[in-house]
Amino acid sequence: MKHIYDDEADVRTKAAIRVMSLFFVGLIIIAATTSPIATGTKAGERAPALEGKFYNGSGGWQTFNLESYWDSNWQEGDVSGQWVFLEFMDTDCPYCVRSAEDMSLNAADFDGSNPQWNGAIVNFMASATELDINGHDSSRAEIVAFRDKTADSGQSCAGSDCGSRPGSAHTFPYIDDLDQDNMKEWKVGGTPSYYLIQPDGIIAWSSSENPGEDSRDAILSLVTRESADTGGA
Amino acid sequence: MDSNIQLLIYLIPTLIGMFLVLPTGRVIASSLEETLPSFATERGRVLSGLLLTCVAGFAVSIQTLWISSKVSEGGNFCASSTVFSCDDVIGNTAYNTDPIFGIPWGGIGAAVFCVLLYLAYSTSLEPNSTWVDNYLKLGTALTFGGFLVIGLLVSYEIQMEKICQYCTTAHIANVAAFIGFYRLMKLNESGEWNQES
Repeated sequence: MKHIYDDEADVRTKAAIRVMSLFFVGLIIIAATTSPIATGTKAGERAPALEGKFYNGSGGWQTFNLESYWDSNWQEGDVSGQWVFLEFMDTDCPYCVRSAEDMSLNAADFDGSNPQWNGAIVNFMASATELDINGHDSSRAEIVAFRDKTADSGQSCAGSDCGSRPGSAHTFPYIDDLDQDNMKEWKVGGTPSYYLIQPDGIIAWSSSENPGEDSRDAILSLVTRESADTGGA
Repeated sequence: MDSNIQLLIYLIPTLIGMFLVLPTGRVIASSLEETLPSFATERGRVLSGLLLTCVAGFAVSIQTLWISSKVSEGGNFCASSTVFSCDDVIGNTAYNTDPIFGIPWGGIGAAVFCVLLYLAYSTSLEPNSTWVDNYLKLGTALTFGGFLVIGLLVSYEIQMEKICQYCTTAHIANVAAFIGFYRLMKLNESGEWNQES
């Protein structure tokens, strides 16, 4: 008579095979029904949390949560979805002071108020921290003076009056990250650091991954537009 | 299906399993002895409860892993503005993976419950083998170690001021499994392992 099983087989082998089968069936179900996206700050990853208090020119410091900007139903090519351009900066960092002019220009061109821009709205925002560097001594008053470009406020930004920084006054929100919580969460190595984020919360571009590439070029090449061959900003 | 109703699919077997591994299991088991002969012995009752608990613990862990994958996609499953919001707990990237290897807690739970299920299932298939003693001790030690993990995860929930119902069900399953393995270990040591009732 033909043997179709091993009489001497240990029940432990049988139990192990059955339990392992159950485990792999569970994993296969998860793999078949979900497409998990890692959280991180590289392109293609889901943007980490960014919370705190923000100042937007009026109403004082209010609660901010970056998650409120995300639209999980957004589809690639949908021009109605709003993108986010996030800058990590320090009001005492000379590079950040110099780049304030670019931020002014880009925000004016892409925030939806420019009729020549035929692309999706890009919401600009800055997360202001205080780096652990000698001479970097920031505060909420300094962040306000930097953002509003307040002349003779008594606040010093990178050794000069905050009101004398390049560019116009900013109209986008500044988030208080003086305790560096958000900066650490985003693993930001230095300031300024820039992130362009899709409406669904997925990072589309970061300055750390694209050294030398201008943030304006990134916006022009990545943000959804109504027609690729029409003008632009 | 509402996520809290779906939770009952895991919670009810876990609680029945817990009831069976406790001495109180005799109360419901006595009426089922004719249908389920294994309920006639203390060993049979505890092993049945333990197997049920391990299967439910594994299933709820897999569901937790599924929820964490769904939340990472940007969707939601059991988000709530109340204190019971498993999305807020499982979707919190600061706490939803183990601090050493970065493995999702649901994945760890599923793997551990599979090991426990293997130990219990092997024991139930051949209860008088020489290795059963070691398996029961290993099961007791593993589930006891689970208390440390439960403590850590509950401390996360306290920090977040949110409770994950699915995670709590897995924690209850671990407690029930510990009771089951411990009682079986003691029963095995006492010499009453093969007694009829």
